[in-house]
Amino acid sequence: MKTRDPSLFTRLAVTIALVLAVGAAGLTSLAWYSARTAADEAYDRLLVGAVLQIAEALTVQNGEVTVDLPISAFEMLALSDRDRIFYRLTGPKGELLTGYPDLPVPASGGERRDRPVVSDGVFRDVPVRIASVGRSFAGADVQGWAQVVVAQTREARFSLARDLTLNATGLVLIMSGIAFGGVIFALRYSLKPLTRIETALTQRDPQDLTPLSLETPREIRALVGSINHFMSRLGERMELMQRFIADAAHQIRTPLTALSGQVDLLAHEADAVRQRRHLERVQARTKQLGRLANQLLSHAMVVHRKESVPFERIDLAKVARLALRNTLPASLNPDIVTSFEAPPGPLLIHGDRVSLREAISNILDNAVQHGAVARLGIVLSRQGTSARLEVHDDGPGIPRSQWALVTQRFAKDPSGRRSGGLGLAIASEVAATHQGQLSFLERDEKGFIVALSFPLADPEEDP
Amino acid sequence: MPAKPALLATLLAAVLALAAAPAPARAQETSHFPARANEIDTLTIHAAADIAAMKPLIEGFQERHPNWGVRYVEYVTNDLVVAATRACETGKVLGDVLLSSAVDHLVKLANDGCARALRSDAGRALPHWANWRDEVFGFTFEPAVIAYNYDAVPPGDVPRTRVELAELLRSKEDFYRGRIGTYDPRRSGIGYLLTISDARQTSAYGRLIESFGRARAVVHCCTSDLLDELERGRLLIGYNLLGSYAYARIKAGARLRIVLPRDYTVVLSRGAMIPALAHRPALASAFVEFILSNEGQRISRERAFFFSIDGASPADVDGPSSIISAGLFRPITIGPSLLAVYDEARRTRFLAEWTRSVVTVPARD
Repeated sequence: MKTRDPSLFTRLAVTIALVLAVGAAGLTSLAWYSARTAADEAYDRLLVGAVLQIAEALTVQNGEVTVDLPISAFEMLALSDRDRIFYRLTGPKGELLTGYPDLPVPASGGERRDRPVVSDGVFRDVPVRIASVGRSFAGADVQGWAQVVVAQTREARFSLARDLTLNATGLVLIMSGIAFGGVIFALRYSLKPLTRIETALTQRDPQDLTPLSLETPREIRALVGSINHFMSRLGERMELMQRFIADAAHQIRTPLTALSGQVDLLAHEADAVRQRRHLERVQARTKQLGRLANQLLSHAMVVHRKESVPFERIDLAKVARLALRNTLPASLNPDIVTSFEAPPGPLLIHGDRVSLREAISNILDNAVQHGAVARLGIVLSRQGTSARLEVHDDGPGIPRSQWALVTQRFAKDPSGRRSGGLGLAIASEVAATHQGQLSFLERDEKGFIVALSFPLADPEEDP
Repeated sequence: MPAKPALLATLLAAVLALAAAPAPARAQETSHFPARANEIDTLTIHAAADIAAMKPLIEGFQERHPNWGVRYVEYVTNDLVVAATRACETGKVLGDVLLSSAVDHLVKLANDGCARALRSDAGRALPHWANWRDEVFGFTFEPAVIAYNYDAVPPGDVPRTRVELAELLRSKEDFYRGRIGTYDPRRSGIGYLLTISDARQTSAYGRLIESFGRARAVVHCCTSDLLDELERGRLLIGYNLLGSYAYARIKAGARLRIVLPRDYTVVLSRGAMIPALAHRPALASAFVEFILSNEGQRISRERAFFFSIDGASPADVDGPSSIISAGLFRPITIGPSLLAVYDEARRTRFLAEWTRSVVTVPARD
């Protein structure tokens, strides 16, 4: 059988059962201990009474200590009716008056030998309770201490202690049972909201991402909050995706329609010159469409990696050089001169190599497509705690009024010059996921500048 | 330790005393009850109890267990306890069952750890006073009674209480002098038990033994001797006789009557015990269970002891039909208080006192 997943209910129930069991065991031992003490106290009184009574019965007759063992003393001891009794009476000279000569004498109570002493002992391999008392004689013919020792087996004490303990144990068990029952009930009751959440989630329409509205106890409100937060993020993501897909569809449909129109025209055109012109347009449209598709995929990849790929320490300069090398052959106009400037040493940042390359490629591509006439360059620099990458071109640049717009996807350029580009949007998004920034610099003698800046990685940190 | 030499000396003295003690004066009598069918095993009973009274029980037992023989060794009470104590101390075996009418002896043996417990329904059903530790069981119910020869004692004289008896001996001292008998507690374990019970039960005890002394009471070792004398008319009244033996005589035609004393009736129960070292504990248990069982008790009541453990008396006894319900019942409880009764020092003193009062009466006038 497959082992079951740990259940919250079982865990709590087992833990509490263990605590209760340990507690019950502890209480039972305590009960046994105190019951033993109580039993000893009760029966010691009888034993001491009997010893005193026997000591009282010691008399001097004809110059000798004698005793008439009082039967009533034994009857008192017989109240613990299963117990055996051993006794030993010795006279002032230590002579045995009567009883068991081998019965041990407990240590006497110091000064006051006439005070009864009770102790535990073993006689004839049986545990006994021994009481003893001395009685002083100071007559003319007899002087000294006579001693009375009475031992009693422990059966009645044991059975009293056992009965008391059993009663206490019964109570402890009943109490533990009630406690455990209560706990089970309480657990079921308090875990019910979880079941309710589960039911609510399973019964939900998969499209429904609205927050759960359930009455829940304080303790799991955070859980519901997390679920709701997660659902709202999921909802946002889905909305974003849907919008993106809608946008992308729209963006692709327009050039496709145009392309389809061009191809129709091409098919019905008899004139070779016009045919040639149509063909060129088809070519241009196809290229534009291809670029758009690339950008869409690139964007999708960047978004995907943002969620799923952990950052590593990378050298921004290396990534930039690679991006420059990869991008330019595809789009290079042989008239354009490229340059690459980087400070000595690596420019370490935390980031995703692929996304960064994609971002830089897109900026470069954008510059080539829309601006650069004869010059395109990358300048890397350290600026305080950040690394900065600038892409220079000698093109017309983007007017300041458009800066905010071009970093949004499929933004419409009223001038129509850079319509529908995704490149800068991708770069901007990558910058944001790297805690960096995309910015533009006003055109000056160096040309138009698009800059990316990222926080530098701590050089001390292990790679 | 200063106490040690003294203790050793005491021990030594005790050992010497035991060694020096004369071997049991009377030879033990051994009787055999062969098995009814093929004998498989033999149960040995060492007893200080009349074989005549025990015979019906042994035969009843053999009816149940026809393959078992029974060897019955009869002792005088004191010899039995000496032999059993010595056997227990030296780890020897003395029989499978011990029976004794001097239950204090059995209690002493059990207290010394010489008994084997037998937990049985029959034992549990016994009254509390007749079972100690499931080791010593009282299996008979024997009231101590006054018996008289009704040919010789005028009906108006019949004493019903101890005070009446003492009064009678005082008022008709000459008539009863030398014609009243009782147990000799010095020679009989039962006698000692019954006499010491009297001493504890009644304030009239002093008066009673004083009147016995004055009336020159005759003392005998055994109930049967006293009954013989009563039957022959040499004694007129017997005090503290075992009701069972007296009743058996009456059933056999003796011209005696029994009075259950109306102030209180001491009841003695014969004891049975299985020695810790018994060879055949299973047989022994079966025997003890049998004598305690309903069947055994029926035999006891009908053929051996005539009074049943629930207190019912035979119909023709002068007294209440049940001494238990009449509130006169004073059982000799089988339990640790008999240890004080058994105590040698106590016995010596008590018997000395008794002897002074009853036997060595100072010459009068």
